Amino acid sequence: MNVTYLRMEIIRLLRNRRVLIFSILMPAILLGVIGGLYKQDSLNGANVAAYIMVSMGLFGSMSGAIGSGGTIALERGIGWNRQLRLTPLVPGQYLLTKVILSMIMALPPLLVTYAVGAISLGVRLPAQTWISIGVASWLGALPFAALGLVIGYVAKPDSVQQVSALLYMLLALFGGIWVPAEQMPNLMRHIAEWTPAYWVGQVARSPLFHQSMNMHAIAILAAWTAGFGLLAMRRFRADTARA
Amino acid sequence: MSGMTNTLPTQGRGHSGAGADGRSASSRAAEAAVRLTGLTKRYDQVVAVAGLDLTIAPGEVVALLGPNGAGKSTTIDMLLGLTRPDSGSVAVYGMDPVAAIRSGRVGALLQSGGLLPDLTVGEIVTLSASLAARAGHSSPPSPHRRGPRPVSQVLELAGVSDLTKRRIAQLSGGQQQRVRFAMALIVDPDLIVLDEPTTGLDVEARRAFWASMRTETEQGRTVLFATHYLDEADAYADRIVLMRAGSVVADGTAAQIKSVVSGRTIRATLPGADPVALSALPGVDSVELRGDTALITSRDSDATLRVLLTTTAARDIEVTAHNLEDAFLALTVGDQS
Repeated sequence: MNVTYLRMEIIRLLRNRRVLIFSILMPAILLGVIGGLYKQDSLNGANVAAYIMVSMGLFGSMSGAIGSGGTIALERGIGWNRQLRLTPLVPGQYLLTKVILSMIMALPPLLVTYAVGAISLGVRLPAQTWISIGVASWLGALPFAALGLVIGYVAKPDSVQQVSALLYMLLALFGGIWVPAEQMPNLMRHIAEWTPAYWVGQVARSPLFHQSMNMHAIAILAAWTAGFGLLAMRRFRADTARA
Repeated sequence: MSGMTNTLPTQGRGHSGAGADGRSASSRAAEAAVRLTGLTKRYDQVVAVAGLDLTIAPGEVVALLGPNGAGKSTTIDMLLGLTRPDSGSVAVYGMDPVAAIRSGRVGALLQSGGLLPDLTVGEIVTLSASLAARAGHSSPPSPHRRGPRPVSQVLELAGVSDLTKRRIAQLSGGQQQRVRFAMALIVDPDLIVLDEPTTGLDVEARRAFWASMRTETEQGRTVLFATHYLDEADAYADRIVLMRAGSVVADGTAAQIKSVVSGRTIRATLPGADPVALSALPGVDSVELRGDTALITSRDSDATLRVLLTTTAARDIEVTAHNLEDAFLALTVGDQS
């Protein structure tokens, strides 16, 4: 792992804050507005505001992870990947750096939405629950980090941001992140089960209901991660063969 | 085309032989820095590179000269493993090009290589240095590895040390080109490959660039640069490889390339000239008559003129020397059909 490369990427992230700010602001605003409506309600023994908080955190981490991978398209557009191929950097190292960066990008939205939940919505959870939902949500960003790589190698530089945004909004909408899948019509619920977003939601929210680890959901997410990862590798190979 | 391509590669081979003989036994025993064999690349129906053969010995400074579309950039892309040839092979120090780059023996500057606009000059070169650092761990370990050079030294060498804190986005095209040069030098390469390195540089920057290149080549590095500037090829290369339509049309020293259309042209008004008699004059290579004007190509114009003026009625005499430009035009324009 090249730490200098990762450090430079983080410097770039802090200088070019658009993706970062968007991935933090959107879920925080949605949580403040929607969560405020259900502050006092509870569902199956869980506070509804906490439920929405976890969901919006996931939306933020998803959008951060997908958006971060999408920047590969911009780098391909300016010829940076070509420049990198003139260096001893091994492609696997580049992809690994990008995945780590996406996982770093997934963290701030989680922290900010949890802060909004705790401070303005009065969400109170045992420390262990905070940690479980946080870790589950963060690791749940992995399939989306892999999806981001695919987008980075498939999308055109001038449309990658729109493509990424459309994709994570559709995932949030149809995957039961914005609207709970339990409240959806039957057909929609079936569609939801075909998205990785639905299963991340299942895993991340389960501590709220004192449920044990959903191994079925975790297996499905691992499969999505592997699938997107393989697809990203294939696209990467096709890209380097052509360039 | 046939006459041109049949005669000139012979000259190229003659040069390579002479070059090898002139070098020490140790460098003759060393493997070629670059060996391109039967390299061919097509894009749709267009043949970009057509069966190119080129061998570069360690320590040579070679210019790849040719007009736009001659196949220089495609050749360089294949040499660096950025493009896969349709057929033929590439060996850089006996290795696959990608392996050679990973071992840190090759530094390259490409027109199309982009830089990250939101990093500073110092940061992007530091990043390159960190990527170069891992080259030392490559297998098999190369005895030539010296590890990355200090960032400050390379910034100085490329003439960008005063821009260290400047963001890439704020640099001019010429300044960015110098940053690319710094990035090419950071691995401390044995072979430096430059694709049109001075494009976008003003005259002073070009001169400064070549001055720093000289410093590099004095340390025994091998250099291959593509250019369409004849004066650059003439001034900085030991050997010029002239390309046209994807093949090598001439290969030799600048002097040898010039001698291809060697000597001078004597232009004289001489009504009723006898071409056979003119051809028999000392030093004459060829004679062409255009009405009353005779065009005589001579490898020894002094001797030709001495006889021409005393034995014929030739008048209005003009003598023009051939330069690399003529050689270039003669060899690259050739038959347009």
